[in-house]
Amino acid sequence: MSKRTAKDAHLPVGECVTQVQDILRQRLCHQRLPDKPEGVEAQHRHLLELLKRTAIHGESNSVLIVGPRGAGKTMLLKCVLRDLLEDKEAQKSLLQVHLNGLLQTDDRIALKEITRQLHLENVVGDKVFGSFAENLGFLLEALKKGDRSSSRPVLFILDEFDLFAHHKNQTLLYNLFDVSQSAQAPIAVVGITCRLDVLELLEKRVKSRFSHRQIHLLSSLTFTQYLERVRTQLSLPDGFPDSRFAQDWNDGVKTLCGDKSVEEVLQRHYNSSKDVRSLHMLLMLCLSRVSVAKPAIKPADLLEASRLCFADAKANMLHGLSILELCLIIAMKHLNDVYEGEPFNHQMVHNEFKKFLQRKSNSMYNFEQPVILKAFEHLQQLELIRPVDGSSAKTQREYQLMRLMLDHSQIMEALQKYPQCPTDVKQWAMSAFG
Amino acid sequence: MYINVTTVINAGQHILIEGEDEDNPYVAKVIRLFGDESGKQKKAVVQWFVRVSEVPLSKLKLLGREPHPQEIFLYQGRSCDDEVNAESILRPVQVKGGSYWSFWTPLCLHSHSFFFFLFQQIPPGTPRTPRHATPSIPSRSLPARRPGNVLEEARARLHVSSVPESLPCREQEFQDVYSFVESKIVDGTGGCMYISGVPGTGKTATVHEVMRCLQHAADVDEIPPFHFIEINGMKMTDPHQAYVQILQNLTGQKATADHAAALLEKRFSSAAPRKETTVLLVDELDLLWTRKQNVMYNLFDWPTRRHARLVVLTIANTMDLPERIMINRVASRLGLTRMSFQPYSFKQLQQIIMSRLNKVKAFEEDALQLVSRKVAALSGDARRCLDICRRATEICEHSPADPFSTGLVGMSHVMEALNEMFSSAYITAIRCASLQEQLFLRAVIAEFRRLGLEEATFQQVFVQHRALCRVEGLQPVSVSEGLAACQRLGACRLLLLEPSRLGVLQRVRLNVSQDDVLFALKDD
Repeated sequence: MSKRTAKDAHLPVGECVTQVQDILRQRLCHQRLPDKPEGVEAQHRHLLELLKRTAIHGESNSVLIVGPRGAGKTMLLKCVLRDLLEDKEAQKSLLQVHLNGLLQTDDRIALKEITRQLHLENVVGDKVFGSFAENLGFLLEALKKGDRSSSRPVLFILDEFDLFAHHKNQTLLYNLFDVSQSAQAPIAVVGITCRLDVLELLEKRVKSRFSHRQIHLLSSLTFTQYLERVRTQLSLPDGFPDSRFAQDWNDGVKTLCGDKSVEEVLQRHYNSSKDVRSLHMLLMLCLSRVSVAKPAIKPADLLEASRLCFADAKANMLHGLSILELCLIIAMKHLNDVYEGEPFNHQMVHNEFKKFLQRKSNSMYNFEQPVILKAFEHLQQLELIRPVDGSSAKTQREYQLMRLMLDHSQIMEALQKYPQCPTDVKQWAMSAFG
Repeated sequence: MYINVTTVINAGQHILIEGEDEDNPYVAKVIRLFGDESGKQKKAVVQWFVRVSEVPLSKLKLLGREPHPQEIFLYQGRSCDDEVNAESILRPVQVKGGSYWSFWTPLCLHSHSFFFFLFQQIPPGTPRTPRHATPSIPSRSLPARRPGNVLEEARARLHVSSVPESLPCREQEFQDVYSFVESKIVDGTGGCMYISGVPGTGKTATVHEVMRCLQHAADVDEIPPFHFIEINGMKMTDPHQAYVQILQNLTGQKATADHAAALLEKRFSSAAPRKETTVLLVDELDLLWTRKQNVMYNLFDWPTRRHARLVVLTIANTMDLPERIMINRVASRLGLTRMSFQPYSFKQLQQIIMSRLNKVKAFEEDALQLVSRKVAALSGDARRCLDICRRATEICEHSPADPFSTGLVGMSHVMEALNEMFSSAYITAIRCASLQEQLFLRAVIAEFRRLGLEEATFQQVFVQHRALCRVEGLQPVSVSEGLAACQRLGACRLLLLEPSRLGVLQRVRLNVSQDDVLFALKDD
C-alpha cells in the first residue's frame, strides 16, 4: 500500500506518521478535551446549568462529582467550564479557584492558595501576608462584604475532595459551604472525588450545609460502545493535511476493530476494567509501534500491547531469581501447604530445603548456611516474603517469622517459564508433599 | 582601623530610609529638614517613592508594560506619614531618570498618579507588607440577572440564604431568648444561656432575629443601647483566637491571643461609668474546647463579674454538651438556662416553605407535603427541605413540556429530586462495574459464606475468583489483574482494604451489605 500512497500523497509518509503520532499522543496522553462529552450528556447539562446560574444569576451552590477513577470527572468539569466561558457575560464575571487535596494538604496552605488565586489585597506579587488566623479572617470578611447581585461569583474547584475532609475540624469546608448557604458573595463549590461514601466523612454541621447534590459518573458502557470508542480514539480527524493517508488510516482502523482476535483482546480488557484511562494506555502501547516502515496498526501490535498490560509483576520477578532462591520459594510453598498458611522462619525453610537435598542425594545445591541466609534476605528485600510483625530488632534473623507474599499459581506459572529450570526442582515443586 | 563617616544631606537629595528589614530600605526625596520643638530631634519632610515590587499587582497591570526591576514611582497616596527621623536615613543615592523611557511622562494609574524614574542603586527586594489591605471581592461589571419566570423566582426565594424577616414555627423560642436577653439588658446584669439542637433547626437564625428586634428596640429608646458581638468556633483557626476576635469587635484593636485575653479580663472586671451591655453570641461552642478549658471558663466567668454587664449566648448541637465535655467549674458557670430546638415536624416544614414562597404559586400542594414528610421523617433539617424544593424546580424546568401539566412542580419532579438526594449510589456503582470487578464481589461473598466471617484475605478470595472465572468460561485472571480489580473496588469504597503494600495478604471487607451486593448483581 505504501508505494501507491506515496505516489499520490501530498506529503511524504514520514511526515504523515509524525503528524499521526502528534495528534494521537495529544489525545491519549495529554487528555485532550473532546468536542462533546460522550455518554454523560445529562450530567453535563446539569452541571452546566448549575454553574451558569452561579455565574449569571449569582446563585450560590455546592455539588459533588463522584465516580470511579478514570471515569472522566475532571474531563466533564473542564468541558463544562469551556462551554460556560463561551458566554461573554460569564467569562467576564466568573473567578476561578482551583484546589487539589494532594497539594493543599492542610487548611493553612489551602487558604494561602485561595487568597493568591483571588488576588485579594493582602497579596503582593505571589506572596500572601499575615498569619493563618488573619488569612482566614480576611477571606471570610471579603466574602461577607460581597452580595449576590454586585460581586463577582467565585467558583471553587476542590479536586480530591475526600482529602479535604481529613483536615482539622474541616474548617475550610465548613466555611465554604457556610458562605454558599448564606447571603454573601455568590460562590459555587464543586468537589471531585472517587469515594462513594464521601458524605459519611463530613461532620454533621458541614453535611447539613452541603446541598446534597451529587453528580454520579458511573459509566454503563456496553461492549459495542467500547469498540466504537476504540475506533474513534484511533481515527484521524477530518482536518488531517493528507486526506488520502487519513482515509487509508481510518479504513485500517476500521478493519482492525473488525478483526476477531482484536475483538477478543478488547473484550478481555473490557471485562477487566471499563475505565477510559486503561484503554488509552493500551492504545498508546499500540501507537508506539507505528513507524515509517510500518505506517498502520496491525492486530499483532494490539496482541503484544495487551500481553504487556496483563503481565503479572510478581511472576516476572520470579524469572529473575537464582536457582537457590527459587528452591527456597518452593520450600516455603510446601511449608504453606503443610501448615496451612502458618508463618515460618528461616530455619524451617532451611530444613525443608535440606530434606529435598537428602532425598535427591544431589550435591549440586549443597550451599553453606550463610549463603542460604543471604538468599533468604534477598527475598525479603524483594518483598516476596514479609515479616509477620515489624519488630525486626527483637528476634534473631534466623528465627523471625515470615509470610510468603505469593500465590501458588504464580509460583507454578513462573516455574514453567523459568529459563533452564532443573528437572528435579520442577518435580519437587510439583510433588504434593515435600 | 575605624573611619567615622558623616553623611551630609541637603534638601532636594534622594535618600534611603530604614525599612522593614535591612535589605529593603525605602526610597524618598528630601523636601525640607527641620528640628522639632526641643530642637534635639532632627526631622525631615520627604516625598516617598515606591519600588516596582511595592506597587499592588492590580495597579501594575495598568502600566501596560513590563517595568524595570529598579524602576521607582512617585507615591502620592496619603496613607503614610511624610515626616521621618533623621536617624533613620541611611545614605544618599543617585536617581537617574529618562535614560530608557521618556522622562516625566505622567501615567494615569487609577486613584494615585505615578511617575516613573529609573533608579539604579537599590537591588530589587521583597515587597512591603500590606498593612491597610481592605478585604473585598471584586465587583462585576453588570449586575446579576433578576429571576425571569415563576420557577426562577421561587428558586431564589427557596435558597437557604434568603432568610425571612421573621421565622415561622419558632415563635416560642424567639420569645424565650428575647425575654432573657431583654431582662439582662434592662437590669444591667450579665448571664449565660445554652442553646442546643441538631443542624438546620434555626438556632442561629432565631438568635439573629432576636438581636435585630432588640437593636430596633434600642434604636427607639425602649431599652438601653447595647453591643452585639458574634463569634463562631468553626471560623477560627484556634480556640484562643476567640479572644482576638472579641477584642477586635469590641474596640477594633488588634492583639495577640494572650494580650487580648488580658485586655478583656481588665475590661470586664473593672467598673466604668456609662458602660453598655455586651451581648456575645458564641456559635459552635464545642470547637472552643481546649485541654484546660480556659477559653470556655473565661467566657462563662466574665458574666458573673459585678461590672461586666455581659450576656453570653452559646449554641451547639448536642444537648448534653456541658455534662459531657466541661469540667465542673465550667459547667456550673454556664448555669442552667438551657433551651433546645426540636427538629421540625412535617407541618412546620410545610409552613416554612409556604412562608418562603409567599404567594408565588410554583408548587402543587401534594408535592410540598411529600417533601416535608420525607425530610421530617429523616432529619427535620430545614436546609435539606429547601434544597430539595430548589432541585425540584430545576427538574420541573428542564422536563419536557407535557400538554396536561400545569407548569407547576408536581409529585413526579419532587420524587425525582428526593431520589437524587437521598438514594445511595452503591447499587448503581456495582451494576456499572466491569465483569471482573463483579466477579470479585461475588467471590468475596462466596468466601465469606465459606468462612462464616465478614473478613477474608485477598488470597482466599482470589481462589474463589479463579474458580468463578472457570465457571463463567473466561480466561483465568492473573494475580496482578485480580489485585487491580480489588484496588479499584477499594478506591471507590465498595470494599474496605488494608494498605496495598501487603499485596496478596491484605484483608478484604465489604463496605455495603451482602444483600445489596446480591441484589445489584442479580439483575444481569
